[in-house]
Amino acid sequence: MKSFINALVSVILAVTFFFGFWVILDHDYDWAAIAPYSGNLFSGWLVTVGISLAALALSVVVAAVLTVAQLSSHRVPRVLSRAYVEIVRGTPLLTQILIGYYLIADAIGWDSRFGVGLVILSCFSGAYLSEIFRGGIESISKSQWLSARAIGLSEGQTYRFVVIPQAIRRVLPASAGQFANLIKDSSLLFVISVHEFTMQAREANANSFATFEAYLPLVMGYFILTFPISLLSRHLEKRFSYEH
Amino acid sequence: MKLPDSAQVLALIGPSGGGKSTFLRLIGGIETPTSGTVIVDDQELPKEEEGLLDYRKSNGFLFQAFNLFPHLSALDNIILPLTEVHGWSRHKAEERAHEVVKRFYLEKHLEKHPEQLSGGQQQRVALARAVAHEPALLLLDEPTSALDPEMKAGVLDLIKELCDAGQRIVLSTHEMGFARQSADHVVFLAEGKILEEGKAEELFEASREPKVTQFLDRVMKW
Repeated sequence: MKSFINALVSVILAVTFFFGFWVILDHDYDWAAIAPYSGNLFSGWLVTVGISLAALALSVVVAAVLTVAQLSSHRVPRVLSRAYVEIVRGTPLLTQILIGYYLIADAIGWDSRFGVGLVILSCFSGAYLSEIFRGGIESISKSQWLSARAIGLSEGQTYRFVVIPQAIRRVLPASAGQFANLIKDSSLLFVISVHEFTMQAREANANSFATFEAYLPLVMGYFILTFPISLLSRHLEKRFSYEH
Repeated sequence: MKLPDSAQVLALIGPSGGGKSTFLRLIGGIETPTSGTVIVDDQELPKEEEGLLDYRKSNGFLFQAFNLFPHLSALDNIILPLTEVHGWSRHKAEERAHEVVKRFYLEKHLEKHPEQLSGGQQQRVALARAVAHEPALLLLDEPTSALDPEMKAGVLDLIKELCDAGQRIVLSTHEMGFARQSADHVVFLAEGKILEEGKAEELFEASREPKVTQFLDRVMKW
């Protein structure tokens, strides 16, 4: 039975790859049509890199606040942060972008597409990141707490010297993965016309009708950003699992 | 329970689940009683966390296992409480840490992380950490129960050295031979109650409680 499934999977993968390659290779390429937009595409890529880095930093802040709130001994921050995380993780990013820009930002009168997009993306990713952080902290065994207690460390000191140093090592691989997700999620910001990579590719396509020539570089452009992160995440996983 | 004034080393023996660990933790201020008060050295222990924290700082505590912080080296494990809990300068803490490390034959293992050390070595590092700040009271909760016989001996040797050097110790253990040789006063705990207490020879040789003699016979059989 197992060898049958192996064979079946191999056949399916092979067929998919061949089909993919045939589609890519058999196309009549018209790179000249897309050439005038190459500058825009590149600047769009740079904007994606910029907004991803900024959102990374901001989402870590959001995640830290949410994690502290969820671990709090007071009920109010715990319930509020839990509700926030559940709602953000339970709804599509697309809907959050639309509501965030057309309802909320509009209501407070903030019309910077880049700024609003950055904040929405950070609030979104921060929720996912806080679950990763919280999991890391809660995975530190109770015996560590007991040991810290016995030698006279206060709760704050225990977090600072015992729990967080260990938790950071544990959450790094998953956090790297979430950063890769962030980069890909940023592509949705085109719906509010942030001049990032996907938006530029769509415009180039609309003007030149060179669909393939616009979207192939788009895919590759994201991949060269996320692949190194994937490698880094694997490397971190190996490195820290060896230590503990 | 009242100890004679000359008692320096108190041993707690008895069946597992009898209350030895709980008793130790109550004395050490790691747990608070659900009712009643704990009085150590004529001082009533505070019930709130802040007061207890101060009290805990004056003692040393050793658990059966998992005492050390895995992300720190053996030396840093010893230095951490000295600098952060007792406020010593880094220099003084390092000096003292090297002293205890030497005394406990751990020089070769200074920079190693806990997972690179054997169980016996880990317990010795934990013991070094517990005594580095010269605690008023050293509390040991079955410190050798998780060790194999050879490592056991190494750790027990060190505990005996501390006894001889005058350290006040409360020790919960299944090592009857050791308890008999090193304790001034022995307490037998079972089902959360003190069944018998007295001088070591009295309890081991001529116990008046059938449950105690039964237990000792079984434990000393092999």
